[in-house]
Amino acid sequence: MNTSDPVDVLIVGAGASGAAMAWSLADTRMRILCLEQGDWVNSASYPSNRKGWEVEGFGPFNIDPNIRKLDTDYPINNTDSPINVVNFNGVGGGTILYAAHFPRLHPSDFRVKSLDGVADDWPISYDTLEPYFAQNDRIMGVAGLAGDPMYPPKQPPLPPIPLGLVGETIARGYNKLGWHWWPSDSAIITQPYEGRGQCLNLSPCMSGCAQGAKSSTDITYWPEAIRRGVELRTRCRVREITVNRAGMADGVIYYDADGNECFQKAEVVVMACNGVGTPRILLNSTSNKFPDGLANRSGLVGKNLMFHPPGFVQGRFEERLDSHKGPRGCCILSKEFYETDLSRGFVRGYNMQITRGAGPFATAMQGLMSGNIPWGPGHHEAFDKQFDHTASIGILCEDLPEAHNCVTLDPNLKDSNGIPAPKINYTLGENTRKMLEHGIARATEVMEAAGAVEINSGGLLRPSGWHLLGTARMGNDPQTSVVNHWGRSHDVKNLFIIDGSVFVTAGGVNPTSTIQALALYVADTMKKNLANLFD
Amino acid sequence: MADDIISSDAPLSASQQEIFRAILDTLVPAGNDGILPSAAELDLAGFSEAPVAGMAAPRLLDIVGCFDAGFPALAPEERHALVEEFRGREPALFQSLLLQTYALYYQDDRVLVGIGSKAGPPFPEGNSIVSGDLSLLDPVQTLNKGYRRTGD
Repeated sequence: MNTSDPVDVLIVGAGASGAAMAWSLADTRMRILCLEQGDWVNSASYPSNRKGWEVEGFGPFNIDPNIRKLDTDYPINNTDSPINVVNFNGVGGGTILYAAHFPRLHPSDFRVKSLDGVADDWPISYDTLEPYFAQNDRIMGVAGLAGDPMYPPKQPPLPPIPLGLVGETIARGYNKLGWHWWPSDSAIITQPYEGRGQCLNLSPCMSGCAQGAKSSTDITYWPEAIRRGVELRTRCRVREITVNRAGMADGVIYYDADGNECFQKAEVVVMACNGVGTPRILLNSTSNKFPDGLANRSGLVGKNLMFHPPGFVQGRFEERLDSHKGPRGCCILSKEFYETDLSRGFVRGYNMQITRGAGPFATAMQGLMSGNIPWGPGHHEAFDKQFDHTASIGILCEDLPEAHNCVTLDPNLKDSNGIPAPKINYTLGENTRKMLEHGIARATEVMEAAGAVEINSGGLLRPSGWHLLGTARMGNDPQTSVVNHWGRSHDVKNLFIIDGSVFVTAGGVNPTSTIQALALYVADTMKKNLANLFD
Repeated sequence: MADDIISSDAPLSASQQEIFRAILDTLVPAGNDGILPSAAELDLAGFSEAPVAGMAAPRLLDIVGCFDAGFPALAPEERHALVEEFRGREPALFQSLLLQTYALYYQDDRVLVGIGSKAGPPFPEGNSIVSGDLSLLDPVQTLNKGYRRTGD
């Protein structure tokens, strides 16, 4: 087996959280190494450089790894889940293909048990993370508008993304109903910032940003972390974390690009592989001391998987909205139904995320499937009514932690290195189902108020498992949680977890902002406790 | 030789190409305004046998083989009826053809300009959109709503 020089800190995964951790720990001048199973992505390879951008977005830049099938991907068994896990494996991780919608969790999201009597409280609060939210906003480059009454005061470093005609039209609908809305916080730079060019309103953010205006961590955290001495090694797929006789993590076994089995020794191991990848590796790290997987004496590794089950409502308007232009997933949002109101028939709530319209090929395809745009005679007239005339509202529901929703190791399916693939078992909870129905009905009201002449809706889109949360939850009690309040494993004191796995509850917003704030907080706490990190 | 071949894997003779163009014209005819072209005007070389959007690639010879040599001379309504019949008989083949047709049609510069978009890929030119009227937020400021306090 190939071996390399030992390192002080080994981070597994170069996505949202791993990048933030690497950047922060670089202060310490420790030897820090990050292993990433994917490659760097060259922005010239993004589809928006080419005329076939929409088609490529369905193929090599597909969000579903089971369709994308790059050799840097691993398969995922979703057959027992109505939602497919989607991701990207490479430097930047999911931030390469995310929409960059960047809301923070709310203060109430950290106190769900105390406030609503369900799930659990987090061992930390919004206030704990507030300085790290702000720090992350500055480093990533977040656009937004201060003053949203639904949040404690915050000041995004860049002005908000354009509302466009889509935002203005839907905002008028909210105003007519007397409901909250606000320009979305977006990890998209709206002015030149830190050497990066501003957003050009290309539209296909979700197949990579050729301009580099979307804040993926390959162009934000990583260049600075590497400049300050962090080593990032790509095409290294970790199979398992090894432990020594004392039960401490002592490194990882991984496969390099040529399939060679390698051992990397480390004093500290940090897992940053998302809420599916992290439990996969932990469960695959069995030993005499940890027969059920590493850091799993609670039995909770892989359990309590939470998504944000989405619904959508699309409205068509008589007037042209230029809706295929601008950041596709970022416009305005509404927190009108975010907090608990038991009269609605469910606990907790959802975010409403207004998104812009589809490109021409997707418009034609959607029209074909819905029957709105025929082929043959009448195609152009029907297409003209839809293209650039639509806006959508996404309903992002807060899922509650349920132990039966879980990630396990598939007994048969393996990746190209022979590592067991993750298997997802997930059913939609009754509370979430009611929330989804409520959200679709309210979003329909917004569309009507905004003047839509045709409204279509749907729930539970299959390729929507972006937000992978809860599978190694944090807490103070080792019996009911996997890591402590600063991400350190209860069972293995030199093992840390910093991705969405540690979420105690899901909130009802896109989680990347909170994941990165958590990573910065854990890194800062590690730095403050370096002398007694393992006590 | 070049006129008879679309790709090395899917040679179509001149008469087969005529049938194929008539099928394309039936799927996406020219616009009444004279601006939008028929799909028959697309560069047939684009109809390679590469898969599109994760779907099966259109098998051109199989598709053309479903139509008689007289198909191109038929009236549009008659051609539409025959293509509809083909759709019912060979749904997967039809779907792969339509998908490929739309994919190529909606990246053609004449089409993009005709539907009010810009020719070429999105990058580097980008788009301009209105920034929007933030005074629309004035009513939101008076809603007297706020975030839920936690007592922390």
